This record gives sequence, C-alpha cells and structure tokens, in this order.
Amino acid sequence: MATQVKVPTVGESITEVTIANWLKNDGDVVKMDEVIAELESDKATFELTAPINGVLRIKKQKGDAVPIGDLICEIDESGSGQVSAPTPKTESKAVAASSGAAPKATGAVKEMKVPAVGESITEVTISTWMKKDGDFVALDEVIAEVESDKATFELPAEANGILRIVAQEKTTLPIGGLICKIEVMDGAPAKAAAPAVSAASSSSDKNYAAGHPSPAAAKILDEKGIAASNVSGSGPGGRITKEDAAKAQAGAPAKAESKPTAASAPVIPGSRTLRKEKMTSLRKTIARRLVAVKNETAMLTTFNEVDMKPVMDLRSKYKDKFKEKYGVGLGFMSFFTKAVCIALREWPAVNAQIQGDEIVYSDFCDVSVAVSTPKGLVVPVIRNAESMSFDQIEAEIARLAARGRDGKLSIEEMTGGTFTITNGGVFGSMLSTPIINAPQSAILGMHNIVERPVVKDGQIVARPIMYLALSYDHRIVDGRESVSFLVRVKELLEDPSRLILEI
Amino acid sequence: MDYQVTVIGSGPGGYVAAIRCAQLGFKTAIIEKYDTLGGTCLNVGCIPSKALLDSTEHFHNAAHTFKEHGVDINEPKPNLTQMIKRKGEVVKSNVDGIAFLMKKNKIDVHIGLGSFLDKNTIQVTAKDGKAKKITTEKVIIATGSKPTPLPFAPLDKKRIISSTEALELKEIPKHLIIIGGGVIGMELGSVYARIGSKVSVVEFLDSIIPTMDGTMGKELLKSSKKLGMDFYLGHKVTALENKGKEVALTAEDKSGKKLELKGDYCLVSIGRRPYTDGLGLDKVGIETVKGQIPVDDHLKTKVDNIYAIGDVVRGAMLAHKAEEEGVLVAEQMAGQKPHINYNLIPGVVYTWPEVASVGQTEEQLKQSGRAYKVGNFPYKALGRARASMDLDGLVKILADANTDEILGAHIIGARAADMIAAGVVAMEYRASAEDVSRMSHAHPTYMEAFKEACLSATANRPIHM
Repeated sequence: MATQVKVPTVGESITEVTIANWLKNDGDVVKMDEVIAELESDKATFELTAPINGVLRIKKQKGDAVPIGDLICEIDESGSGQVSAPTPKTESKAVAASSGAAPKATGAVKEMKVPAVGESITEVTISTWMKKDGDFVALDEVIAEVESDKATFELPAEANGILRIVAQEKTTLPIGGLICKIEVMDGAPAKAAAPAVSAASSSSDKNYAAGHPSPAAAKILDEKGIAASNVSGSGPGGRITKEDAAKAQAGAPAKAESKPTAASAPVIPGSRTLRKEKMTSLRKTIARRLVAVKNETAMLTTFNEVDMKPVMDLRSKYKDKFKEKYGVGLGFMSFFTKAVCIALREWPAVNAQIQGDEIVYSDFCDVSVAVSTPKGLVVPVIRNAESMSFDQIEAEIARLAARGRDGKLSIEEMTGGTFTITNGGVFGSMLSTPIINAPQSAILGMHNIVERPVVKDGQIVARPIMYLALSYDHRIVDGRESVSFLVRVKELLEDPSRLILEI
Repeated sequence: MDYQVTVIGSGPGGYVAAIRCAQLGFKTAIIEKYDTLGGTCLNVGCIPSKALLDSTEHFHNAAHTFKEHGVDINEPKPNLTQMIKRKGEVVKSNVDGIAFLMKKNKIDVHIGLGSFLDKNTIQVTAKDGKAKKITTEKVIIATGSKPTPLPFAPLDKKRIISSTEALELKEIPKHLIIIGGGVIGMELGSVYARIGSKVSVVEFLDSIIPTMDGTMGKELLKSSKKLGMDFYLGHKVTALENKGKEVALTAEDKSGKKLELKGDYCLVSIGRRPYTDGLGLDKVGIETVKGQIPVDDHLKTKVDNIYAIGDVVRGAMLAHKAEEEGVLVAEQMAGQKPHINYNLIPGVVYTWPEVASVGQTEEQLKQSGRAYKVGNFPYKALGRARASMDLDGLVKILADANTDEILGAHIIGARAADMIAAGVVAMEYRASAEDVSRMSHAHPTYMEAFKEACLSATANRPIHM
C-alpha cells in the first residue's frame, strides 16, 4: 500500500511550488512527521513532512515545479525490509552516488541580459524559450532563441540553476535588457543522476547520451569540422542523428558520399579555414564613405562608347617625340582629362556639388584621378586641369601615382576635387557603374579598349571601342546634362583636333 | 604513376579497401601472393572452418537429436572426404566472388609477391619468377597474419599442424590434441569432436576463450565437455614431438605436475602473428614492432603515402575489423573523416552453441571500478530454444548502474553470432538497457533472450523468469 503525498495548499495566491531539496533519497525509510523535502514558492520556503511511516518513492525531482495538489512522492507502507531485498546491490550504490551530487542552492541569482550582438543592432526579440520557467538549466545549455533584424542566435545559460523567465516569448528587448534570472545552484540537476525511481521513468529522464552522435553523424560532423557539443541532438535523449549532423552546416558545400555508381567523383579534400584581419583605417574610411554615397545621393549611370582609333593613331604617331620632348609618356589620361575639362565647362552642373541648401559651382576643374595602391584606392587631385597642357597633366598624374604607391600622398593632395575619372579598364573591366566620389556630383568610368565590329558609313569595320560610364547625382545633374556631357566627351575623343580648338 | 592506390594482400581488409577506393574514384590495383583472392579468411580461415562446422553440426544433430525430433534414420556416418570437398566448393565460390567484384570495380589484380622497391614502386614477383614493377601514389598494406608456431616444436604440417592443415585432413583423428583454447582451437576442436575424435585441449591460462567475458568461457567449457572434449587448463606445454605415427606432448601444471598426452595429430592454435615476409619494408624504412607495422590513429605508417590495416597492425585479428579499417583508409584518402569505434567490434566463436561478444567484459568493468549492473537470461527459459532443443546458453547484459547505458553484451547460445549485431547497434547509439527492453522483439525468437536480459539489467524484472 502506498500513500500518495501531494503538494499542500500553502497560501492563497500560490499555485505551484518548486522542490528545493529532497532531504531523503528514493527508497529511504521515512518516519511519520519526518521532514522529507524542502519546497519553495515565490513567497516562502517550507518543509514537507511524511504523513506515515514507510519507504519513500520520489515522483518529482529536485528543481521541478509542481502545481498545488499534484503528486510529489509516494510512501510505501508495506514494510521497509521488503524493499531493499529485491534491489540489486549495485543499484543501492547508485543511490549513494547520486545523493552526493545533488545540487545545492547557493543563494546567488544570475541576471541574464541581452548581449551586444552586432554594431547596428539595438534590440532583439525573444523568439522561443527552449526551457520553461522553473526548469533546471546547465551552464552553456541553450535556453532560448533570440532574433534580431539580421540573424537568429541561441542564448546559452550563464550559470547552473533554476530558470526564472522575465521576458516572455515575442517580447522585444533593448541590448542590455533583462531576459531572465538564474537561481544559481552548485552541482548537477537531481534528475540526471537520480536512481531509477521506477523502471518506467529511468531512461526517459536521463540524458547521459545527449549530444552523442550516431556513427554516420559523427563522420559528417568531423568532415565539417563541427564539434558534437555545438550541435543539438533531436534524437531520443538528445542524441545527434544523421539529419542533425547534415543540417548542422546549412550553406556549406555538402560533401555527399559518392555512390558506387558515381565513382568518378571522389570528394575533394580542401582547407576551409577562415582568416581574420583587422580592417585598416583607410579601408574603413573607404567603406564608410562609399556606403554613405550610395545612401545619400540619387546616383545613376549613363553609358556611351568611344571609337578610340583617332586618339590611338595620334598617340602612336607622336608618343616618341612627346616622350623625347617632355620626358613623360603620352597616355590616354591626358586626352580624357582634357576632354572632361572642356565638357565640364559646358555642363557646369556636372562640375558642381551640393553644400547644405546651396549648389556650389566651380569655374575650375580639379580632376580627381582614382589610383590603386597596395593599401587601397586613393584619389589624388589634378588642380586646374582645364589650364594644363597635355604634358603637364601626364607629369602630374605620374607624380601623384608614384606618391600614392609609396603612401606619401598628403590629405591636401587628395581633397577638394570637383570631378573624378576612374579607369577600371587597366584591370580589364568592360563596363561598370562607378560610385561618385563625394561630395562631387559625377564620376567618369573608363574601361578596356576592345576591337568591336562597328558600322562606319554603312560598312562593318573593326574599331577599338571603349565603353564610357558616367555616374552622376541626379539631385543636381539632370539627364540632359549628364548625357550631353558624356556625348561631348565622346565627340572630343573621337576627333582629337576638337580638343585643341575646343569646339 | 600506374595507380593512385595499390593494396597489398587481398584478404577481407585488402579487397574491401580496394573496392572502397574504386568506389571513390581512385585507380586501384591489388596484389595477391596466392593464386586465389580472399586471404586467410576465405581460403583457410573463417569461411572453410564455418563450412566444416556446419557439416559436422548436421552430422551431430543426425546422430544425437534427430531421434528425439522424430526423424528415424540409420546410424549416420561422417564422410570427412565429402565434407572437405564441399568445403572446397564453398571456398571456391567465395573466392570467385571476390574476383568478380574486382572486375566489376575495375580493380587490376596482380598475382605475385609484392615487395617495395621504394615508397612508390612495388615489384610483383610471380611464382615462375617473372617480375614486374608497378608505380603507385599510395599503398595499403594488408598482408595479414600466419599461425604462430611453438618455439620448440615447429609446424611439420603432418602431425603437428596449424589451422590451415586442420581444414584439409585426410582422416578423422583418433585423438586430436589442441594446444590453445582460444577461438580457433575451440572451433576446430568441436569440428572433430562432433565426428568422433577424442579431443584434448591444453591451455596455458585457467580458462578457455580467455579474452571474452568469464561467463562465456565457463558456459562454453560446460557445453564442450558435454560434447566429450577434455580440458587441461593451467597447463604449460614443455615438449611436443612427432614420433611418426603419433605425437607426444608433455606439459605441466602450476604445481609442476607432469601431464603426458599421446595423439595422432596436434593442432597448435596459440595465436597468429603479423605477416610481412618479403614485403621489403626495409626499402621504405618501416620497422615492425613485435611483428606489427606501427600506425597512427589514421592507420598511416611513418611513410606518408603508406597505410597498413588488419592483422598486420594493432588490435584484434578479425576479418570485420580489417574491413572497417580498409574502408576507413580509403575514405580518408578521399578527404572524408570516418570513425571506427574499436570498443564496439564484436568477437564471435562459431562453436555450437555460438559465443558472441561486444563492448566491455565484466572483468574489465570490475577493473575500471565503474558501477555496473548485470542482467542474465538463460536460453532454457526461451520458447524458441525449447522448440529447437538449443537449450544451452544465456545472454548477459552489462549496464551502467547510474545511467542504465549498455556497456557490454555477451551471448552464448544458438545464433549468438547473428544476434550480437543488435548489441552493436544499441551500443553505437548508446542505448540504455531499458531502451532495448522497450523495443518490440518478435516472438518466438532467440532475440527475446536479449530483450529479457536487458529487462533483467534495468531493474531485475525479466518477464519469463
């Protein structure tokens, strides 16, 4: 005969209690009125006494929250002598071992707050609680899933103990907001180490195999370089199934085992290490400014193409003499700079920029030239390019490029341009949409020169063609101006004599 | 290079490695010294011994249990010649099967002795002395093992024989003396005991099949004695001599008391040693340790492109262990990361009743100090066993006292060899004894004993006891 012991009514507003401690072990002989457990409610702690003499059969484990009136244990009156006899010796050993490991409340409470999860993330939402209020949680055990506008992440327990949920599911909290409290305890949860109360409950409660991967799962995890401890198992008792392991790296290339029939495709071994490097302050500045331009201007791009044959002919005809006379090579940049300067003066909006509520027009052309350096892209300025001769422009570009390569450009040399030319063609770009060099309003993108079939006087002929791109800020440059500007650049380049005459 | 992978030795380790390599897309070759593929296991080991064990078991049943089953026949006579002929056919169809698998997987087979010239070149010397060289990126050594002779009495292969000769005897021995009560000694001992030989087993240790759980040895000893086998445990053999028509053995027990036995054959089954003769390991700078080729956890030797598996490396000398290692090496070469749980490689003795075992023995658990529970269930209490008259045997489950996790499964009884797979599966998944006892087991089957032993281990509550 067993007498059922239920949670007594302990106060008006109290609906459930938590078992703080079992003072007796399962299978112990208890006397009537002997204190067998400590219960706690949110108001107070009180003692549970045995109603009769008999053998204790624990039904709810330490740390469990039990509603008022629910079964907490049974006391078996049918004699104490009978109980120990059929129990194998080894089992009583287990009892002794587990009682030593029972957790003790330390009195400390760990408050868990929303961690800083990313620079721009200011708040998160509790998407799911994996543990219930009052559950025993182990250090580093995942207790909740939290989501920000960027990503979902798991929240591990910061201490062993009893979970007290503060923010319910779907609650949005700022960074630093209180999520939950953990009543810190020493030791492992009682239920993991408790002896078999009855055979029926012994294995379902235990989680000694939690996180144990199946043979196939172990292989998959190893190949992915994921530790089993980082995977939560969905199998019985928290075992890691093959599917868990397969999902553990969503996104990474699946190293599916090649079937005998597909024997021709062995899995290719390859390193998958990540290298992290601090961003240089130059890189950070570039990153910040480029994003700012994208966000703050009304940028769009217009395209055209230039038949480079006239410029190339002219250049090949005079480049030796030019070099001889000026000591610097005649490149394409001087042609483009000259053409741009002429066009800029005809379409001053392209050379203008917004400052607050005003539009600032420049009657000079300070042309920024994008130069690639080992540390990143720099944009030194050719001042008053409109007044310079071809050789002066070439010499200035050579000087600035050399200083850029050596990292010697001063801030002075890189600020204040009114328009930018960038040449992706040197790397082989066919076509691109360059980003404006703020606070300027337009940028010309040069590209590679490719022989293309074009129609001249009704005949298809091969011509060296370069595509041109002009990105501009539509806030102050209209389509008519930008397109006309680019057409003008094209005209000047396709007939270089107009560069001299400026017509 | 002629090949990406070359496997030396075509036993269960070697041929499985070769097939897995081929499946993974490697251009693969296999070298075999003998004329037929399959190594010890298929030619002079597992398969032929099982063929004879099955034949003699049929005879044993005809002579002893048919009558009770209600099958009246004239007194049966064993025909060893026919048994050995049938065994030969079984072996032939198995080795032909391997040859077919090599062909199917486009693996080149080179018959001859493989020896290293350097780490990428292997010379294959055929029996007629013709040699060829093959070049290879990687090598898997799977040359297996040979029976260990007694230091003072070499195997003359006539009267003093190894397991190889014991599978080819022309006559039923009148008195077969067996030195060594391990797996091979017990299996071949029961073959000849069943067909009328007097069999005497002399074992140095105090128990037979000493590496297995103690209960298994005790139970097997009981049923082997029923079969009429004599045992001299704790006896050290001091002399063994072929006297032409008989062999004379002298041994002494721990107190120094002498034992003299005379028989017409003596089977020396004291173990096997790794076999690397003629392999030319010196050419690649590999030195054996106690005959074994040292390997790391990935079965790689000290030479970067040379691996070794099976009986030539550490661990149990078992065909299925070698097979797992063959697969592991092949998959590693392909960049995969397979595992072998060496604790969960089952061991089997094909006597009748069979003995099979996986995981830890009770002796090991005692030594490690881990708290454990034992659950036993005898075949006697099993309906299925009563029906077939296979009443000898029991299932013994060892489980963790705290978590109920199964730590060892030991079975002696009919079909134990097949049943042990359930133990392997349960333990690979770290099942508790109760987990298994809550799974439905078909009735009536021998496997019910497994479930009942688990119930017994969980909370000492078997149903049918």
